[in-house]
This record gives sequence, C-alpha cells and structure tokens, in this order.
Amino acid sequence: MIAPAAIMIFLFFLMPVGLTAIFAMTSMSTATGISGGVWQVTQGAVNRLEGDMPALAEGIAQPRFVVDEEGLAALEALKLKPGYVIELRAEHVGEVFPSRREAERVIKALKDRPSTREVKQISDLFNRSVLNTRFESREALVRSLEKLGFKLTPEERDKVATATYTGWVWTTDNFRMIGNSPDMAQIFLNTAFYVAVTLLLFNVSYALFLAVTTHYMPPTTASVFRAIWLLPRITPVVIYVLMWKWLTWDNGFLSLLMGQFGVPPKNYLLDNSYNAWFFVILINGFIGASMGMLVFSSAIKAIPETQFHASEVDGASRWQQIRYIILPQLRWPILFVTCYQTLSLLASFQEIHLSTRGGPGKATEVWSLAAFHTALNNYTGNLEYGLGAAMALVLVVVGLVLSLIYLRVFRYDTLISKPLIED
Amino acid sequence: MRILLDKFSKSFGATKVIEDMDLNVGSGEMLALLGPSGCGKSTTLFAICGIHRPTSGRILFGNRDVTSLSSQERNVGVVFQSYALYPHMTVAENIGFPLTVRRMTAAEINKRVAEIAALVHIDNLLDRKPSQLSGGQQQRVALARALIRRPDVLLLDEPLANLDAKLRLEMRSEIRRLQKETGITAILVTHDQVEAMSMCDRIAIMKAGEIVQIATPSEMYNDPRTAFVAGFLGNPPISFLTGRAKQGAFALDDGGLKLPLAALSGIPDGTALTLGIRPEHFGIGGDVPVEGKVTFAETQGRENLYDVVLPDGSALRSIQPARSDVKPGDSVRWSLDSKAALVFGEDGRRL
Amino acid sequence: MSEQSKVSANFSSLPVILLLGLVSLPLVLMYAYLLLDTVSNSEAGSLIPSEFTLEHWSFLWQMKPGKPNIWLVTLNTFIFASCITAVILIVSSMAGYVLSRLNLPARGFFLAGVMVLHAFPSVTLIIAIFIVLQYIGLYNSLVGVILVKSAIDLPLGIWLMKGFYDTVPWEIEMAGIVDGASRFAVWRRLVLPQIKPAIMALGLFSFLTGWSEFILPQVLAPGAHVQVLSVYLASLIADDNNFDFATFKAVGVFYVIPVLILYVFFQKHLMNIYGGGTKG
Repeated sequence: MIAPAAIMIFLFFLMPVGLTAIFAMTSMSTATGISGGVWQVTQGAVNRLEGDMPALAEGIAQPRFVVDEEGLAALEALKLKPGYVIELRAEHVGEVFPSRREAERVIKALKDRPSTREVKQISDLFNRSVLNTRFESREALVRSLEKLGFKLTPEERDKVATATYTGWVWTTDNFRMIGNSPDMAQIFLNTAFYVAVTLLLFNVSYALFLAVTTHYMPPTTASVFRAIWLLPRITPVVIYVLMWKWLTWDNGFLSLLMGQFGVPPKNYLLDNSYNAWFFVILINGFIGASMGMLVFSSAIKAIPETQFHASEVDGASRWQQIRYIILPQLRWPILFVTCYQTLSLLASFQEIHLSTRGGPGKATEVWSLAAFHTALNNYTGNLEYGLGAAMALVLVVVGLVLSLIYLRVFRYDTLISKPLIED
Repeated sequence: MRILLDKFSKSFGATKVIEDMDLNVGSGEMLALLGPSGCGKSTTLFAICGIHRPTSGRILFGNRDVTSLSSQERNVGVVFQSYALYPHMTVAENIGFPLTVRRMTAAEINKRVAEIAALVHIDNLLDRKPSQLSGGQQQRVALARALIRRPDVLLLDEPLANLDAKLRLEMRSEIRRLQKETGITAILVTHDQVEAMSMCDRIAIMKAGEIVQIATPSEMYNDPRTAFVAGFLGNPPISFLTGRAKQGAFALDDGGLKLPLAALSGIPDGTALTLGIRPEHFGIGGDVPVEGKVTFAETQGRENLYDVVLPDGSALRSIQPARSDVKPGDSVRWSLDSKAALVFGEDGRRL
Repeated sequence: MSEQSKVSANFSSLPVILLLGLVSLPLVLMYAYLLLDTVSNSEAGSLIPSEFTLEHWSFLWQMKPGKPNIWLVTLNTFIFASCITAVILIVSSMAGYVLSRLNLPARGFFLAGVMVLHAFPSVTLIIAIFIVLQYIGLYNSLVGVILVKSAIDLPLGIWLMKGFYDTVPWEIEMAGIVDGASRFAVWRRLVLPQIKPAIMALGLFSFLTGWSEFILPQVLAPGAHVQVLSVYLASLIADDNNFDFATFKAVGVFYVIPVLILYVFFQKHLMNIYGGGTKG
C-alpha cells in the first residue's frame, strides 16, 4: 500500500535531488544543451585559444584551401570541363593556400580558362576551413586540423578539443563561482536579511499580535479577523501579487492617494530598493503571518481559562497577562513556527518573482529566486542549468541540515509509537 | 471585611441567571454558597471577584462599592476548582505572582512568599513546578497564592472537588484553620453539603438563581425553610411522604398513617402536604408507629441503613445502630418521632 | 457558568478590535477594490467609482488576441486541481495508514524522511524535474505537471493522514481483525470511514493548492493548450501591450471565486490544515 507513495516520492523527489546534485557538477546551459555536444571552431573558441597558442588561433580563424582527392572527386561530379581535374591533379595536388584569393589565382590560371563563376564554384570545393564547421567527434576535428597543416602536440590537441567542445562537461566551477562571486555574496546577504526580517516581524511577531488580539475579542469577531488574515494564504499567488501591484504601481492606489496631496505618481514597488524590500517583506509577511496566527491561537486556546481568571484576580494587567501567562506558554509553538517558517521562507520565491522579479536591479534577489532565474527564467535567454542546480543544491543541504536539527529539537522519536497489532 | 451583595442580578444574553439577590457576609465570617450545579453559585462568585460584572445591583467590600471595578482593583483571593496554577512557573513564582504584578521588589516578594509558604506548610516545595506536586500540595499552593496579597475576601470555588476522600478530610480542616488564623472573610462555593456544613459559619442555599435560606449549619439542618433545603442537607437524605391535612394532623391518602402536628392547626382539611422525616427520626424510640416492609438494607459499619416501603407505596429511610436481625423482605413496625417531623405545604414552604 | 462568556469583563475588547481593524484595513481595502474595480469605471485620478460596467468581464465571451480560450483554461485548471486531489488522497491515505499502523521495516526512517522532504524547497526540485520531463517527453503536458505537483504535496498529505489515523482508536481495528477481516479490508471498511472529515479536509486543501499553483505549470507546462488560470493571468499581466488593471482583476476574481466559495463554506476544516503546516 505504500508502494505508490514510495514510487512517486522516488521519481519526483529523490531522483530530482540526485539529478540536481549531478547537474551541479556540470556546465550545462542552453548553449551546451542537455545531451552531448559537438566540436566546433567558433569565434569564441578561437578567442579562448588566442592566449595560449596565438599562431594556431590565427591560423584556424583563416579560411584554408587544399587541393585534395576529395575536392577533385567532387569537381569531377560537377561535370565541368575535364581539363580542370586533370590539370589540378597533375600540377597542384597537396597544395595548401592560406586564403581564397591565392587559391582562385591558381584556378584562374588553369589552361582551360574557367569563367569567373566557375572559379568560385571550384574554389568552394577545396575550401577546407575549420571555422564554424561542426565535427561529430574529437578525432574528426584533429584529423582535419592536421590535414590543414597544423602540427599539434597531444597537449595542444587537448587544449583545442576543450576550447572547441560545445557540450557540457564535468566541472566544479559552479561551486567555485558560488564561493567567490561578489554577486553571490550579495544574494546570500539578501536572503539572510529577507528571511530574518520577515520571520521576526511577521511570521512570529505579527502572528503573535494577531493571535493575542483575537484572543481578547468575542469569538465571532475573532473568527472574522482570522478569516481576513487567512485570505492572503488562500488567495492564489498570482492574484495576491496583482493586488499589491495595483496598490503600489504608478497608476495604483498609493499613487492616486498621494496624488491628493500633490505627490507625483511613482512606482512604489520598484522606485528604490528600500521600498522594494518594504513591499517584498509585507507581501510575504502577510502570507506568513497566518500560519503563526493559527498555531498560536490554538495554543492560547489550550491554556485553561481559569489561568486567565486567576491572573486577573491576582492583579495582572492585560500586558502583564500577555507577558507572564500567555507568552511563556507559547515557547514551543513559537520555536516550532520559527523553525518551520525559516525553511518555508528560504524556499519561497514565487511572490518575489511575480512582484519585483528581484529588482530593482538585483536588490531583492534571494537565493531560491536566483537559482530559479539562473536555471529556468531570465532575460538573456542563456539558462545555466548547471549553476542553477548548484545553487539549488546549496539550499537542499541547508534544508537538510536544518530539518535534521529540528527533528532532534522537537524530539521526533516521541512522535512515533509502536503499532499495537503485531502481524 | 464585610461583603454585601445588594439586589445583585446577572444575565448572559437573554438568560437570567440571578435576579435581585441580597447577601451579607460578616467580617471574618466563612460562608458557604451551597446548591446544585447550575444554580448560579459560580456566577455569584465570578461577580464577586470581578471576572463578570453584575447586570444590575451593587457589590460592596466594606463600605467600598466595587461593582464596576475590575478584578485587578478589587483585592480578592480566589482558589479555583482546578487550582489554576501557572504550569510554567515554580511554586515560589506562582505564590509570588500577585506581588510580582504589583511590582514589589524581589526581596520583599521572597520574604512574603517564605512566610505564607510556612503558613500552608509547603516551604520545602518552593522550587518545584506544579506538575511535580500532588493534588493536596497544589491546593496549598493555590491557597498561598490567594492569601499572599492579604485579600479583603477569599473565594473558594469547589476547592476540594479534585481531591481524593482522605485528602479532602485533611484539607477541609486545613482551609478552616487558615481562614480562622488569618481572619479573612471567606466565601466557599460548593455542591457538597458535608463540606458546607463542616467548614462554614453560615450556609446560603441557592436554587435557580435565588438564595432560599441563609442560616448556620445546625439551624439549617433542624429548621429548614423549604422542602428543597431539607432535601439538600443530610446524608443519608431525608425521606418525603405526600398526604393531606386532616383535623390538624398529617394523613396519608390511604389512611395508613396519621400524625398530629402542632404546625397544622388552622390548616383546612384536604390541603396537600409533604412530610419530611430524617432517617435518624424513624426507627426505635419514636412516638408514632408505622408498619412497612424492608426493601433494602445496607451496613455502614457503625450504623445500618434501611428502606421501608409503606402499604401505600411511599418509602421511609431509617438509620439505626448496627443490628443483624432485620433483612430485606421482613415486615417491621417502627415508629416516627413526631416532634422532629417537618411538614411542607404544596409550594414546598415549611408550615 | 464561565463558558457562557469567553471574554473576561476585566478587559474591554473594544481597543483590540479597533487596533486590529486599523491594521487589517489595507488588506480589506485591497480585496474590496479587487471586487469593485471589476464592475466599475472611475475617473482618471479618482478612487471612487463613477459608473457600473461589465466591460472588464468581456474576456469571458471575447477571446483575447494571442491568448487561449478562457473556458479551455478553466477546464484545464479544473482537471489539474481535481487530478491532484485524487492522486494525493488515494496515495496518501494508503501510505499514511501504513506509516501509522503497520509494522514496517525502517518505519521510523521513512517517517523522518517524509518529514524532511516536506521541508524541501521546491525550487531545488524544479530544475531537475524540468530536465527530467524534457527527457521523458512529459514536458508541456498536464499529466507531467499533475504528477510533479502531487508528488511535491505528497509528504504533507502523508504526514497529515498519518496524524489523523493516529487518532482512530486501535480497538476498532482489533475488533475487525478478531472478526476475521484482512488488514486491507479493515482499512477500507472500518478505518477509512472514521477519518472521513480528514479526507474531506485534505481533499479540499489539495484542490485549493492545485487551483492556486503557479510556478510548476508556468515552468513545466506553459503551452497554450495546457495553460491553467494562474499562468494565463500571469501572461496577461506580463503582456506590456495591453495593460489594463481592471481586466486583470476581473480575470483574477473569476479565478479566485471558487477558492473563496470553498473557503467560506469549509473554513473550519481548512483552518486545521493551514495551521498544521504548509509552506509560506
């Protein structure tokens, strides 16, 4: 009976996690594709080779014309004047011309006087340039280079092959990048700021505020307010963020409202990074507060009513009642919500993606959003699966470590009791 | 301090729980509010400590009108049925809580806690948490917490209900001792007549939101104003016979019993009556013989309890010194003590 | 007595109601204007609507250029949410029972695993899943994204179901087994009926999260023929050529109404689960 669950979890949880780890060790991107690649002397590859082997780089960047059997056979197939083939085979076989012009001069000088159109036609057949040619294997690339007269040592071959390979390769560059890049450090700080502030202000403090205030209300009023504050969570995220956009955009509510006081309209969501953070935290905080509110509310409800009566008779003011009776007894729920929501916030990026897209600039880019943007969704169109997976892997590890700690803290072993029927 | 309830009424929404209740508790007195559940005794207690506010009427502590004051401003000590100890605080913190919220210095609090803990004999438990205490110990902590602020009035809400029989006996005298030693005016809410009678100076019996009678325990037992009071007090309970007045005497409808009573002079013949006979007033040594059949016999060790069914089907209860000659099914001829018989009119009032 | 009035007379609830009312105002305003703006027009620069109109709802009978038919999208969303609900209910009600009641090797390990998985950031999976789906050809299909979404919600479902099963008294099952029923029959006939309310709650919850899901369909099935409402609305908003808040809001209201109806009617059921733990 557990098999379906096990299979689904394996297919869509464990396998992706494993694959993420594998992808993280590769350079996969849109450019490399996700299956194997080819060897191609692109301009980029030439640029890469320029530093180490300037002569070779210059050489392969130029077109090359070689009079070889292959070309002659093709020429025969064209069925032009047979004299061309005979003369070329007799006089010029094996000659290499470094440019089209030199090759064409020789062809033009043939006894049968080819027309200008034919000269072009013939020279094309002997064009053996490697620039922008695709080779299906490394050997094919090396062979054709040698044919062109480039004599390469094995190390040079390796270098050329690496420089011209278009597929993905195994690499640890992604992690080096994450470790060294100042961009990544900024994203890391953003994430820490975002998680800490949202968690403290909303998921815990504001949730406590909601739970405590509704506690001091008649039950029906309280349930109305709880229902209101649960709305952000149940509202589909696209609409929820849409409402915030309406509130903050330059033709939105805030602009109109401030317009009454003569403030020119502006986009409050994206005009500067302070406002962007302000709203990103509000947007996420309003959603996050609801879980704490419900957890804390039911924890307060679990406190026997006579404790409240007793403390009032004992002379406690409302604030003292909250301070001495309610808060101390919410210690575990608060710890639970803090732990749980840390993970949730680390993983959440939909709201930011839909509202600021991490902007303005990269001001509100957080780790999970950056991973998503890097791997699956960005303006430049070059999706770096490998780097994105590596970033995601960092989250996986953080999540794993944190949840293992939490399981220890919350005494996981007490949650499972032995089955009473033995079979 | 004297506590006065003046035309106190309380309703929740449309439900009237208490209407125009007057109650005067003398300074240093311990009074029991006794009644079945739902009679409004807890509502009265909640109004006195300020958790509920009266719908109308006044509540006075001494000469101070506290009707619209909050609990915090009233200076009352309450021991709740479940004790309401704060589970996250130690015993010392629990007891000191009323002083903590009054912002007393830690030294002063410690001193007072030590004093009161010694008074209720829990000075060795101060560092424990409530969950590590027995029921009786928790009860003492609750008492200490109620007493530490030197309240104008001590309210006890079913304080013994959660204790086992032996502890209950012990705490009964303990609470009474503390109340006497501190001289605090106290109100005990209970549904247990034994508690009320054994602990209190006076008892106020409540029924359906009204005080039926206020008297000392012995007055109340011997001279109940209504059949309800007579039925509520006494264990084993009083038994009732229904009949009619006949020439200044109580008579069963089938004529099987005729009991001349002074209280019935001037009552017209045929008036419906209820006669109450306590078990100790039926048996050997009465003056009016009654015949019946024993249907039930129970040995309580020192005494025996019998149910006797009269020929018309009504039943009388008898309690007698232990004897072994009467068994269920036996016909007996025992007698009533007519001087101790209580007679009530149709409306339940004593005649 | 005390249960007749939960609120103590010692503290007035008026100040807290006012305070909370004040801080709730922005939220209430946003929702009020969400509804209001879909059926009204207001003067430029004014917040007070000046006329009633249904023009913003024209997307219901007029196709937006370059966008799929709204009814097809709605049907897709419904299929998507329903299938997720079915898969989660079936799979997690079985797995939850096993984890709650049966002697299973490594049961504790499995439970801990489920709990850890529940805490997993879905972004970590989506990259690999994206590539996996492309490999096996389920990219841009409803089936693929349904399976993925169900799998991601499964740990929570299993954990909740396990919790519900834990509250069913053992005596019922013991009696069933003594009466000669197999464990499967006991589960199917005796235990499952006991947790009907829980199934109801989890079903509703799954339907709502399925209905609301955005990022998975957006990444894994963005094609026009498999679009769901969230993706449709997001693409509408992202389209800079037709920027019209009132229409966005009308589509949004159209999209959110089923959610609100379910929420209003089954609030009590849902409160338990939302409190019990979801991401957010």
